[in-house]
Amino acid sequence: MEQKKEQPSGKEERRVWILGVLGAACIGLEIVVHLLFRTAVGYTHIFYILLVLSALWYHRKALVVAGGLVAATIGTSLVVGDFTWATILRAAMFLVITWIVAVISEERNRALEDLREKNEEVERKHAALVGYLTEASLRMKNPLEMLRDNLASIRMQLDSGPVTEEQKMMLSVQITHLEQIIENFRELTREAVEEREEIPLAYREFLKQ
Amino acid sequence: MTVDLSRLGRDKLFLVLSAAERLKQNNVRIIRALIDQGYRVVVITTNQPSGILKKHYTAEGIDTKKIVFIDAITKYAIGRVPEGETETKFVNNPANLTDLGIAITEVLNTTSGEKPCLLFDSVSTMLIYLPSIHISKFIHFVTSKLRLLDAPGIFLAVEKGIDPLLLTQLTTYVDDVIDMDNSHEE
Repeated sequence: MEQKKEQPSGKEERRVWILGVLGAACIGLEIVVHLLFRTAVGYTHIFYILLVLSALWYHRKALVVAGGLVAATIGTSLVVGDFTWATILRAAMFLVITWIVAVISEERNRALEDLREKNEEVERKHAALVGYLTEASLRMKNPLEMLRDNLASIRMQLDSGPVTEEQKMMLSVQITHLEQIIENFRELTREAVEEREEIPLAYREFLKQ
Repeated sequence: MTVDLSRLGRDKLFLVLSAAERLKQNNVRIIRALIDQGYRVVVITTNQPSGILKKHYTAEGIDTKKIVFIDAITKYAIGRVPEGETETKFVNNPANLTDLGIAITEVLNTTSGEKPCLLFDSVSTMLIYLPSIHISKFIHFVTSKLRLLDAPGIFLAVEKGIDPLLLTQLTTYVDDVIDMDNSHEE
């Protein structure tokens, strides 16, 4: 259990490390390639790895990372003196791509969450159904079988002579058993239908009687 | 056919499974085997009135003086205690586990010097009156009491009449499970 609890934080830590290393690499490229070698061609493609991963893992919060890269790109362009419409387009693409991936990732997570909730609901209903059937079998089917055998035994005794006080007493016991079995059935049905909104109200009331 | 309860000295507590239609006959077979081994049998009945059981045992040639009854069904079913049943302990309602527990304790205390053995007839009938979770707790209470007194106990139940969870719980409380109709011991 503890291992399971540790998993998300370990995963989280790994993600932070990956993004940190990628972020450092991007800034390094910006400084070395753009600032020192005075070229803005090619290296910015590496930025998209950082942006896509940030958007996948942290959704719209990744726009902060995109903003940082935009600032770095524009800043170095201004220093180097190659600030053109291409610089603006590149910076805009950082933000747009990050936003698109973030939105898709959020949608995917929402769908996964919905699916998980639906699965849990199905499992809960299944467990309730198994519980109902088990208790119904225990408290109705099996006692009824026993009741049938007891009544069969009384019936055989009745064949062999006039009705005795013992036989009347045995019949009273069987009636008591039967009354309790009917009460068990009512109780179980009541519990089973009470929260089932999909059953029309009129039927729910009828089943609870 | 005799019941193999030869391990009753070594093992103390048994869950005995029987087919529903043979529950009555198996009850008699167990009683006979226990009395033959010199036990004073304490029968807890929730299925059949003690008066009827007594007559049935007598008809089968069993000495009912060796049997003490705790009857949890007669008073509830017919609303009164039958006359002349002074030696039987009656409990108002089979669902009243407190009264049933007190009656068991009292009877086991009074018979402690007479090699008592408890026969519970039956776990399956109790399921009519109580949810399985309450029955499991009660059987645990009774088995613990029997272990403290070092007295044997037999819990009769209808085969296939217990769900797997309850059966697992009951199996952990007893030393052995005997399937009477298959003559197979686990």
